[in-house]
Amino acid sequence: MIRALDATFGAVGRGYLALARTVGGIVVLFGRILRAMVPPRFDRDETWRNLYDVGVKSFPIVVVTALFVGAIMVIQSAFYVKRTGATGLLGYGVGFSVFAEIGPILIGLMFSGRVGANTTAQLGTMVVTEQVDALRTLAIDPIRYLVVPRFVTMLLMMTLLMVLGDAFAVLGAAGTADAMLGVDWRVLVQGLLEAHFLDEFFMGVVKASCFGVSISVISCFYGLNVRGGAVGVGRAVNASVVANAAAIFVLDFVIGTLYTVM
Amino acid sequence: MSAAAAPGAHDGAVLRAEGLGKRFAGGWVLEGVDLALHPGEIVGLVGQGGHGKSVLLKCLAGLLAPDAGRVVAFGEDLATLSSVRLAKVREAYGYVFQNYALFDFMTVADNVAFPLRQRGDADERAVKALVRERLAEVGLAAAVGLYPRELSGGMKKRVGLVRATVTDPDVILYDDPSAGLDPVTSSKIFELIARMQERRAGSAAIVVSHDIDRMRAICARYVMLERGRVVFEGGEEDVAGAPRAVSDFFDLDGAGVLA
Repeated sequence: MIRALDATFGAVGRGYLALARTVGGIVVLFGRILRAMVPPRFDRDETWRNLYDVGVKSFPIVVVTALFVGAIMVIQSAFYVKRTGATGLLGYGVGFSVFAEIGPILIGLMFSGRVGANTTAQLGTMVVTEQVDALRTLAIDPIRYLVVPRFVTMLLMMTLLMVLGDAFAVLGAAGTADAMLGVDWRVLVQGLLEAHFLDEFFMGVVKASCFGVSISVISCFYGLNVRGGAVGVGRAVNASVVANAAAIFVLDFVIGTLYTVM
Repeated sequence: MSAAAAPGAHDGAVLRAEGLGKRFAGGWVLEGVDLALHPGEIVGLVGQGGHGKSVLLKCLAGLLAPDAGRVVAFGEDLATLSSVRLAKVREAYGYVFQNYALFDFMTVADNVAFPLRQRGDADERAVKALVRERLAEVGLAAAVGLYPRELSGGMKKRVGLVRATVTDPDVILYDDPSAGLDPVTSSKIFELIARMQERRAGSAAIVVSHDIDRMRAICARYVMLERGRVVFEGGEEDVAGAPRAVSDFFDLDGAGVLA
């Protein structure tokens, strides 16, 4: 009995310790990134390469996600709009749900799946093939050279892609509203404008920026802490995707709560 | 060098391990290792696989923090240095990795130019000229635009060698530079090491290898590790009086004659 309790509490304790080490490591890495950005000095080639990889290559997946998010929100509202004839509220519904909640979450999850997982795999492979050690022997700080450009580009691109995603979500919603409900796109846009959509829009952009920060720090943390060759890289990518998704939901909750309080 | 050269007294050794110990989960990998490297000498670090040679090299380069003892480079204890100062000391190092460690997203030319460009004060035309010259010296003039994935093992080794030495560092650490190479390519690699050491008078090196025959051509002194401890230190003339395991490793017969 005592042995079973010991094993149970031991397992719980080890789990909490591992979680504390991970969260602590992520916070420390975030601090080191901020420290490495003062004074601001970026490797031009590495930053440019990341801007292309993170931004341009993510554009198609964000467009597709956003178009469908807009369309799905209209489909979900269709039943009530048809029943009540409240077509003027369609824009409000789309604006609130897409701009403030579903849009940032889904685009954040797609972004973390594509860019975050890729970042963890890249850095993890560099660790196991000793490329990170090679940087150190050449007197180059891996945080400054590898992590800071990724942090900056993910923060920038997640924010920018969110703005573009909002535009494409409205496009998807307008097309679907017209095709399924016969609601003119101008009615939908009018509804958006009348519903103070700027609040929701800014809330979504703030969320996206925070997601950009969390995805970059978490992905880099797992990438730089890979142990155990190719198998270790696989494990790190898996852990990074899960942690990024969890962080997105936690941040969404926290920011949403803060907005409500303020 | 010497951006890293410090005024502290260090009896002429550019690099020194004092009672160095390193442990991993499985136990101590290095224990009580003492080693000194003086300007101009090439030390052969030998021993069976898995007995701590690469770990020692990484500790000497400051890539791994020792759990006991200390590493003193140019008179400064690596453990006490700030990150900025440590980076300065590392500018005086060259490190050739066993598994190449070439940056796979850069071409051969960019890999070699990378340490020069990162120092920030180099003229781009001069960098390109130097890179071309050094790559031509190792027979890779035609490979400047290739990526590491397009190179053979021997070519990657040569690129790694050029990248580690292009800044003419004071200390070069070679981690098994002939591992996995055929005998002809191995000979070429050791010839290149000899040539690179000749170019920079006063530059010191530690070469990890199992290839005693080829090391004889460049090393005057050897350090042998067994289970993480130094079991032999000296020239080949001292091997005859050393324990059996050492003479076996150096391939001497019972009479102290090279077999």
